[in-house]
Amino acid sequence: MAHGNHDALYSQLAARGVTRRDFLKFCGSIATLMGLAETAIPQIAAAVEAAALTPRAPALWINGGACTGCTESMAQGMTPDVATVVLDLLSLNYFETVMMAQGGPEMIPGYQEGVVEAKPELTAEGAIKTMLEEGGYILIFEGTVMTGFGGNALRIAGKSQTEELPEICKNAAAIVAVGSCAVDGGWVAARPNPAEGKGIQQFCKDEGIATPVINLPTCPVNPEWVVAMVIDVLLLGQLESGAILDKLDDFGRPSLIFGQTIHDNCPRRGHFENGEFVYEFGSAEEAKGYCLYAVGCKGPQTFTNCPIVRWNDGASWCVESGAPCIGCGNANPLSPGGNWVDVGAPFLNRMPDLPIAGTTFQPSTIGAAVGAVAAGALLVHGIGMKVAGRMDGGAPYEDVRAHDRKKGGGK
Amino acid sequence: MAHPAHYREAHPMVFVLTHWINLIAMVSLAFSGFYIHYPFFAGFMGVARGMHFFFMFVLIINLTFRIIAAFFVKSAVSLGSREVDTDIKNWLPQKANRHQFLAWIKYYLFMKKDHPLGAKYGVLQKIAYIATVPLTFVMAYTGFSIWGPTMDWSFFSAGAGWVGGYMYMRVIHYFLMWVFIVFTAIHAYLANVEGFAPSGLIFAWKESEGLHFDKEGNPAGGKAH
Repeated sequence: MAHGNHDALYSQLAARGVTRRDFLKFCGSIATLMGLAETAIPQIAAAVEAAALTPRAPALWINGGACTGCTESMAQGMTPDVATVVLDLLSLNYFETVMMAQGGPEMIPGYQEGVVEAKPELTAEGAIKTMLEEGGYILIFEGTVMTGFGGNALRIAGKSQTEELPEICKNAAAIVAVGSCAVDGGWVAARPNPAEGKGIQQFCKDEGIATPVINLPTCPVNPEWVVAMVIDVLLLGQLESGAILDKLDDFGRPSLIFGQTIHDNCPRRGHFENGEFVYEFGSAEEAKGYCLYAVGCKGPQTFTNCPIVRWNDGASWCVESGAPCIGCGNANPLSPGGNWVDVGAPFLNRMPDLPIAGTTFQPSTIGAAVGAVAAGALLVHGIGMKVAGRMDGGAPYEDVRAHDRKKGGGK
Repeated sequence: MAHPAHYREAHPMVFVLTHWINLIAMVSLAFSGFYIHYPFFAGFMGVARGMHFFFMFVLIINLTFRIIAAFFVKSAVSLGSREVDTDIKNWLPQKANRHQFLAWIKYYLFMKKDHPLGAKYGVLQKIAYIATVPLTFVMAYTGFSIWGPTMDWSFFSAGAGWVGGYMYMRVIHYFLMWVFIVFTAIHAYLANVEGFAPSGLIFAWKESEGLHFDKEGNPAGGKAH
């Protein structure tokens, strides 16, 4: 690669106060996230450098039913960092949350006076139309697909989202579902789910759309994972080769990121093994930083690398900051009702509430009730046995089986 | 006033041992399992998990051994009898069990005054005992599905996916424990409610005298069948 290319990228980086050393360190952490060896760092660096010179890859960021928390998570840095540079490689041509409100060409200053000629491609709606026609873009989807009320649970620019979404999904090269809502419906799809929310993968399946979906759950999504996927998909060409799909687990998540439990990498794990637990918030145990298992930590069944990558530029993460894991990284994209809220709530209990006959019960309540009914039944039966005089050896044996007696008493 | 005799032929020594091992393993598993479900006192998690994994293997190996031994060891064919046959035959339904299902239910619901005849075990007893075999293996499967070292094996993770994830596998594992507890309660109750002689035999290998039955399960010396 010519030095000129290097210079182009590094001047961009320098403009943001990022040194070449920072950049290579960043490539190293990305290599780790993607499960590559250190020898892949130059390859990643070269790919980013090359991409900085080529036209930016088109991308659409579409919001479903969302709190825009994932958008905020992506925009986390007070100061632009290296990741921002990489994400700048995506040309986000349509991004409802951050773009200005725009309408048709009549909104362009001067159009109505006839001074300016109509350039529909300058409008958001025009941009999305052009991209749909050209295809091959990356669709980043945030939030839940809300299909309820005939699709009217979510209307954008006078149309229900479910009306346009199939075409947007169909023409995309790949869909990256960012955040749990996009993966399996998340909060929005939690019981009783009046908006009939579902994840984008389920939506595609229902609509018969075969575009590959990469699921990146957690609430909100961790920007570092999105960066890793952008590099994987865009720069290393793993989408074209299909290699990216081999790296996904049964739930469509990159298995390197979602392959181990939080519990197994938890800094509080030692306290777990020692049996040192926080039973109550505000207690001495909490002050000592003991294990949060007894206050419902879902770390043992949540598969994310949060303890290693951490959040907010590696500042901290839930358990480290004192909150039990609520299992937002659990995903079950193709299993309605399997979203992490239904599976994890109430968050401070060890087990979820189970919906039975219009209400919910804790498994331990059900277990204890079954045990109590059995014990009660045996007690009542025991009194019956005592009254019937069977305690001492039981009743006298029949001399012949009732069935045989009916047949004529003996053969 | 109808004690059957309890002879050592009913439970050969090897089965007295497997029964003891089952009891100890199950009590240890239930206790440590409850603790892992919720650590109701401090300082025991490492030991509880160690206990749980150790006795899990003990229980599975013991059960497997017990099943194999049933094909080689002979045990009494009837209550109050010293006549023996291959143990597995006495576990599975026998001629003496025929048409007795309703009789047993009626007896336990106090709708039948006299004690139904059976083989070595009555109909309900055989159903319950045989059901514990798949139940134990299913319990082990659900446990392996949520145990770190094995949860990634596709044989186990497929099951976790099928029930809706690891959390629901935990809930199932937890409920199955209650099934074991209820089984054990009913088993202990019915085995002892008419007298403690059966316990004397299975725990201490102590014989007791009583009624005799022939190999057809009919009262010995009673009506000719």
